[in-house]
Amino acid sequence: MSVQDSPCVLPYTDSKKTGAGDFYFAINATFRFIEKRFGRDGLRRYWQEFGSTYYAPVTAAWKRGGLPAVASYWRAFFDAEPGAEVRVDVTSDRVILDVQVCPAIKHLRAHARDIVPCFCQHCYYVSEAAAASAGLAVRVEGGNGACRQAFLPRHSALLPQDLAQIKEAA
Amino acid sequence: MIGVYDFCGHYDWTFEWLRQQGGESLVRQYWDEAIHQDSQRHALELIRKQGFAGMATYWGHTLDHEGAGYHTSAAEGVFRIDMRGCPSKGFLLRNGLGAYHDYCDHCMGWIGPMLKQTGFVVDHEHNHCGQCWWEIRRLSDQTPPSEPGTLAGSNDVRLRPHWGGAGARRDVYRHSNQPDDKVGE
Repeated sequence: MSVQDSPCVLPYTDSKKTGAGDFYFAINATFRFIEKRFGRDGLRRYWQEFGSTYYAPVTAAWKRGGLPAVASYWRAFFDAEPGAEVRVDVTSDRVILDVQVCPAIKHLRAHARDIVPCFCQHCYYVSEAAAASAGLAVRVEGGNGACRQAFLPRHSALLPQDLAQIKEAA
Repeated sequence: MIGVYDFCGHYDWTFEWLRQQGGESLVRQYWDEAIHQDSQRHALELIRKQGFAGMATYWGHTLDHEGAGYHTSAAEGVFRIDMRGCPSKGFLLRNGLGAYHDYCDHCMGWIGPMLKQTGFVVDHEHNHCGQCWWEIRRLSDQTPPSEPGTLAGSNDVRLRPHWGGAGARRDVYRHSNQPDDKVGE
């Protein structure tokens, strides 16, 4: 499925099919700048506020459409990221993102950029903030170029994210 | 994950988040430190080594990748860009985004200090509708900006009907390297 085939799945759309990879440089540099100014907690707060406000339309779509909407979003999302190799599977109780090649880490490495060590934590904090108001949660395992992300209903028995399960990027 | 497909929306949101944390000075520090000195350090290296040729290489690559509608011109001692369809501002306009009060300032916010470091200075105007032009000369060169059409011919954005059309609000910079050097319309 291409972005053009699913214009309503992504909340913000562009005329080009995929994004420009060099913008990963700016994302990485932005994390470094904010962590330097505000510390790790400040960076996490930035990610959480971004996830809950900028991605509010995504939250609304997930709340309306449940797990199928989560899967549709991530398929369209990774179709538009240059170099991504990601399998998205949906079952009755969760959506699994099997990120075989993370486009950001791949591009940053290819251009010999120093990657912010906690870079991969942003996937947890941003998605968790976006998912919460839709009654969903995310748990991330792996990182540093490949990872597995599970989106599932938020419930009291769900164990909190173990940050030790998210690798530092290098 | 934060992706690059809608990066400009993320970028715009970040400017406003930073402004709320530390005012306009923090936003300017971000453009200089995070974008000029970190993210876009490849532009700095190219232009420092190759001067005008480095500008052609850098902006040719980056504007092609971003899907811009643009034209570049070069003449003795000057490099000019005419942007008729800014991919960045255009993305915000098409999607109804605008968290920060003047998104267009970010270009001068990182390009201005980067060019100063490499010995160049800018004449620039943008109209907040996705059109702008840049003329880059050596710091010591006091030549005023060109008259419309003399460097870029019919590609000069100032000759296009929408340059001063409905919604256009021009910011003007002369012999500048700073985002707050606006001299008005």
